Amino acid sequence: MSTTWLPCGTYHQSYKEDQSLWQTKFIKGKMILLFAVLFIGVPLLADPYWMSVVNTIGYTLLGALGVQLLIGFCGQVTLGHAAFIAVGAYTSTLLILEFPWPQAMMDFGIAYPLSIVIAAITAGIASVIFGLPSARVKGFYLILTTMAAQFIIVDFIITQYVSQIGGRGQAFSIPPEAIKVGPFAIDSDTKVYFMMLFLVILSVTIVVNLLRSRVGRAWVAIRDNDISAGVMGINVVKYKLLAFFVAGFIGGLAGAFWISNLAAISPEHFPWFWSLWLVGVILIGGVGSIHGTIFGSVFMVVVMELLQSAVVPLANFYPRLMMDFLFIKEAAFGLAICGFMIFEPNGIAYRWWQIKNYFNLWPFSY
Amino acid sequence: MELFLMTLTTGIMVGGIYALVALGWVLIYKCSGVLNLAMGELTLIGAYVSLSFYQMGVPFLPSLFLSLIIGFILGILTERIFLDRLIGEPVLTVIMVTVGLSFFFKGTIQLIWGTDTRVFAPAVFPLKPIIIGPLIIGQVYLWSFIAAIILLCIFVCFFKYTRWGLAMQATADDEMAALSLGVSARFVYAAAWAIAFMAAGVGGTLLGNINGLNISVGYLGLLVLPAVVLGGLNSVPGAILGGIIIGVLQNLSGTYLDAYFPGGVKEVAPFVFMVIFLLFKPHGIWGWERIERV
Repeated sequence: MSTTWLPCGTYHQSYKEDQSLWQTKFIKGKMILLFAVLFIGVPLLADPYWMSVVNTIGYTLLGALGVQLLIGFCGQVTLGHAAFIAVGAYTSTLLILEFPWPQAMMDFGIAYPLSIVIAAITAGIASVIFGLPSARVKGFYLILTTMAAQFIIVDFIITQYVSQIGGRGQAFSIPPEAIKVGPFAIDSDTKVYFMMLFLVILSVTIVVNLLRSRVGRAWVAIRDNDISAGVMGINVVKYKLLAFFVAGFIGGLAGAFWISNLAAISPEHFPWFWSLWLVGVILIGGVGSIHGTIFGSVFMVVVMELLQSAVVPLANFYPRLMMDFLFIKEAAFGLAICGFMIFEPNGIAYRWWQIKNYFNLWPFSY
Repeated sequence: MELFLMTLTTGIMVGGIYALVALGWVLIYKCSGVLNLAMGELTLIGAYVSLSFYQMGVPFLPSLFLSLIIGFILGILTERIFLDRLIGEPVLTVIMVTVGLSFFFKGTIQLIWGTDTRVFAPAVFPLKPIIIGPLIIGQVYLWSFIAAIILLCIFVCFFKYTRWGLAMQATADDEMAALSLGVSARFVYAAAWAIAFMAAGVGGTLLGNINGLNISVGYLGLLVLPAVVLGGLNSVPGAILGGIIIGVLQNLSGTYLDAYFPGGVKEVAPFVFMVIFLLFKPHGIWGWERIERV
């Protein structure tokens, strides 16, 4: 949908220029400005409340990125992604709490980053296991097997067994000093923010570059038509499973990162609602577009916060409203998805692309 | 052995209710090609509406009937407002609209009726169990099963012998041919949704009678998804068989596997079974294997 598009008069003189991610000076300047805002502007200007909102955006974005990869680029619809986020979160927490780390590793803050990596790989493997049916089934049957992942992993394995590790009453609360990256203990929203920024930039870069490579082209071919992809010599099963692995990996990263923001984790943090929410995010943002993932997560989180801040003053008059907000949120989310699907099926990213084109082509809009 | 027989009969009886809801699902899929993920919420709506009438003092059967009428109206409205605009859109779009609908319905239900468990009081079916030889069966199960079977028969007769039912069958079979014979496809879609709402409503009411009614009954409604997948998406007998298999499987695993995997094995067993089953038979028992062309 969104193609790389160059203003006229721009000519590439080398292969390197042709393949570069940021092709013009304008884009380079824009990105540097964006990074400046992200690294300096936001931490300076945002108050703690908005900081936590931004962190939520980052978490949503990390989760939705994996879903986008599967649905938008490989065509494998998944409705159970929260399960893999949960696997990541629980693996990381268990490693921190139960694994006998040498004291030095704890002190130097190697334990948590290492546990993130292990958690991400574990989540990737779990995702591959539930992606295995994709070798045989597709379409709605596949949707149901990914849905089964949610019920089997979160509602059964984690709720019934993993939560019991360490005995009754062990609420999986992570001592604040345990979450340490290098010399920094991640104990404030600002530090969580920087970690989030690092992970988001890292995984977006990875995904963008994967999509530009052989792997990404194979995924898109499978999405468009898996039979013709197979005929062209792409190992369909291998690439499907690879997509599941990468998506689960990013999901695991998201989960393992998010425990730094949570005081304690429980299965209620990863409900089926969250899986569907992530799919909703990419649908509203735009399927098959990295921009769309970002727009979608920003849009959904900010709109929900605004809705909440609109409800809070009213709650003085209708005390029940505060209690019912959760349900209103659910209903509003549902209606938003329906509305977007009916009136703007290509999502925000498409609208953004149109606006950009309008200004690029102005005043001759043909 | 007695335990086994009892579990089996209970399973078959609960399975009858699942079969009823699954029938509604398959109907929508066959007629309009919509893969409906909001089935759990449809069961909830019907159940809550009939519960409300029942608590207002309307006897059980009339309140069930009233909920059928409301389900009919809601079904047509849903189809007209949301699904009608989506004919010809990609499958994912349509699925996500039903997901959106399920959120919308669930939020609205909780807003109106709250989250507490509600029971049909006074109890609709007598509490005293019926004893047949070695079997002890709760009357709720028995009557629910009988009601489900009667409704299944009514639905099957409707499709076989009435003009509307035949029109729906024709559309499900070959939409183009049906259109050229003068069947209104839009009418059929609306009717399919109305019937699905009604079937789900009856199923939900019966399920709500068994253990009381709260939002988790919607989860039971979700169990129709493994049921229809087992049966094959586009097969009515498959849906009925799948529903019964899921009911039996659920109860058997609750009885026998619970000792080894304590906890909610009853809830996940259908899904585990479904995943494994799909690995071997990717189109369910009687689903059509479509030949794909590039």
